[in-house]
Amino acid sequence: MEYVKKDLGSFGLHLIQTDKFKTITVRVAFRSPIVKEEITLRNVLCDMFLQSSSKYPSRRDLTIEAQELYACDISTYNSRLGNYNNLDIYLSVLHDRYTEDGNFKKSLQFLNEIIFHPDVRGGKFSLDKLEIVKNTMRSSLNSIKEDGANYSLLRLFETMDKNRVSSYRMVGYLEDLDKVTPESLYQYYEKMIRSDMVDVFVVGDFDFKEMTKLIRESIMIKTVKRQRIPYLLEDVRPRSRRLFKKEVIDTSQSKLAIGCRCHNLTDYERNYVLSLYNVILGGSGDSKLFQEVREKYSLCYAINSVPNKLDHLILIRAGIDKENYQKALELIDQILVNMRKGKFEDRDIQVAKEYFCTALDEVEDSPSRIMDNYYMMELIGTDTISEKRRKIMGVTKQEIMKVAKKVKMDTVFLLEGDSHEES
Amino acid sequence: MKKVNLKGLDLTAYLETLDNGLDVIFVPFDNKSNYHISYATRFGSEITNFIPDGEKKACKVPDGIAHFLEHKMFEQESGEDPFTYFSQSGTGANASTSYNSTQYICYGTKNFLDNLRYLIRFVNAPYYTDSNVEKEKGIIAEELKMYADLPDVQLESRLRQNVYHVHPRRVDIGGTIEEINKITKEDLYLCYNNFYSPDHMFLLVVGKFPMEDAMKVIHKELDSRENKAGAVISKIKEKKTVRKKEDSFTGNIQVPKIGLGLKIAISDLGEYDELELDLYLTMLSTMLFGSSSLFREEARSNKLLNSFYMEWDNIEDYKTFLVLASTNDPKNLIKKLKEELANHKLEEAVFQRMKKVWIANEVKMADYIDSTVNNIYDDMIRYHKVIPNKVDIIRKMNMKTLEKIVSNIDFNNISVVTMSPQDEVL
Repeated sequence: MEYVKKDLGSFGLHLIQTDKFKTITVRVAFRSPIVKEEITLRNVLCDMFLQSSSKYPSRRDLTIEAQELYACDISTYNSRLGNYNNLDIYLSVLHDRYTEDGNFKKSLQFLNEIIFHPDVRGGKFSLDKLEIVKNTMRSSLNSIKEDGANYSLLRLFETMDKNRVSSYRMVGYLEDLDKVTPESLYQYYEKMIRSDMVDVFVVGDFDFKEMTKLIRESIMIKTVKRQRIPYLLEDVRPRSRRLFKKEVIDTSQSKLAIGCRCHNLTDYERNYVLSLYNVILGGSGDSKLFQEVREKYSLCYAINSVPNKLDHLILIRAGIDKENYQKALELIDQILVNMRKGKFEDRDIQVAKEYFCTALDEVEDSPSRIMDNYYMMELIGTDTISEKRRKIMGVTKQEIMKVAKKVKMDTVFLLEGDSHEES
Repeated sequence: MKKVNLKGLDLTAYLETLDNGLDVIFVPFDNKSNYHISYATRFGSEITNFIPDGEKKACKVPDGIAHFLEHKMFEQESGEDPFTYFSQSGTGANASTSYNSTQYICYGTKNFLDNLRYLIRFVNAPYYTDSNVEKEKGIIAEELKMYADLPDVQLESRLRQNVYHVHPRRVDIGGTIEEINKITKEDLYLCYNNFYSPDHMFLLVVGKFPMEDAMKVIHKELDSRENKAGAVISKIKEKKTVRKKEDSFTGNIQVPKIGLGLKIAISDLGEYDELELDLYLTMLSTMLFGSSSLFREEARSNKLLNSFYMEWDNIEDYKTFLVLASTNDPKNLIKKLKEELANHKLEEAVFQRMKKVWIANEVKMADYIDSTVNNIYDDMIRYHKVIPNKVDIIRKMNMKTLEKIVSNIDFNNISVVTMSPQDEVL
């Protein structure tokens, strides 16, 4: 695998040459500082890319063209990366050797068509297509409580930090959706193409020179931008007194969502020590949370913890019976205390390191993980894979205990299932 | 081992059947760093009525027992948790139960031979006690509630209950809380002894691993395993008709949902190879309702569709086409779906394009260890064999055969169900 980064002025080009895959994958990543009122607009735009284009007037026409190009895949995602809103457009297509000469080039032209030649007439997007997208999105926003696990997380974030970026709902907001018009959407599109920072990644088997030329021709980004704000959120102190909140919902199971703040971590602690801490706490089937709350006390089926590093958070989630709320909370609390006291074995640390290293080994088996790895290196200056491996192996028990003391339970949200129906 | 080229995919499979009937399948990937092992049995939630080996009378075990057994497999007499064992080498482990199979998997990059040996040993050594069976009931009850709370699961269950008269697919894979509470350690041993027997099972290894050494471990661990697969699974007498043509209920949702099931008796269609029949039927549903179909385009343009999901239920004697969708206008969507099925207009150009897409997708899947595992696993469960020439079979599909099969389908044998928000009824 060979990595070459080229600064093309208006965007960064990251070429990762490898013969490991039968496909070539291209990722175009647009990002700008996140604005709450723009999230919904950006979600709509994200979907509009796949509804139609100037040359292909319907989603069906787009799908048929993709199928003709030997089932090339184009997908779009809008997500948050710390303080930034990131919109990715992916193209994945079989290498010409499995299809026919020129198929990759045509697929890249197709990507160019989708990004740079939208279905716009007279300074506005097609109203019909916009209505279709808004309609689907409205229905999914209206159904947001159907997925209790996810909904409880949204509510946790809102309860925890009402006005911080971390509380923004990435699914968007109904009131903003109603405001989107064909004109406002086009203005936003123009703004994104003109002022977003852009990185382009290509993974697959190709010639560097030829690929650079092809990308230059198809990614028509002209303006040069600078990063304005940091990626990491501001690091705030945990509450001195925990905040509890409850909401009742008509389901048989309750969802417990706990937000812990990780305050004052160094970069090294955040990137390495915290990862190990989390694996031991609730990151695997061998973790303390799983073994105690599920296996020992049979209080739940699902329980885990995940770090949101850019937000300085660790989230703990469990699906429980409401009768067991207090007991589960006490157990989780005790596990957090035990972590601080160092009540875990060297074996646990060894296991967590193995997990981390296996995940590193597997990065090279997937084009999207390879791109993620280089993207994070670009954005927040994470280390190379070999450097990561070296540093993780050096983490000590004392360091994990030190981080454990910086992790504080801050907000507890219970989505209480109150259904009388027996399942 | 027998070497078989998976044509068009740049992959080779190595096959061997042990004397006791256990199939071993290896698919090496030299350019990847990880491996994936699946140890599986053709025992899923559907088998609840059978005559145990050596007995004369059929018995009924509680619904959800296959899934319960899967959970309890992780209980070892030594007290060691298999998850803990695998995690020492950074290896992931999991298990899953479907209607017709159960599999135990581990995946990682290190410690391959020890992990292979361990996986085989822990699945070969059941340890059920009254107390460890009791303890699991609380965990599984929470798992069942978690799924039962999901409106999409409620809809799918209701649809299957309306399509089938007696078939066990009427019951969710996990069973019900009432049924799993009846499970005893004796029930578990009975199922284990009858269905975790070598000729019901296979071992699939995909990725980067030493083949010869792997085979040595397999022979050592599995050759002595006795095959006592004398169990006779009771034949299910399922009627041709759908149980209920129309139904509606309310749920904790904001946007209505609909389900549609088209039940097809295989005996109506004529004599076909099972894989071929599956491919043609999937082709039919893809042409009529796939992402590039006119139906989807029109339904979207008319704001009739928010989400759309389709699948086939494959059971003995029947194929059922299931559609699940979210819509603001259930009546109209159901009408359109029925019309589309009744008209079933099929075009040659679309047929040819879909073949091209399918072949490209086969090649793409062969790039990933997990998709390759899933692909071969499904074939082993469905067809009891590895299919080395799938690309060729797809290439040879023709419009005439499709039309002939379709002409024998009774498109009126349909069940529809509507799920509405509670407020609308109040």
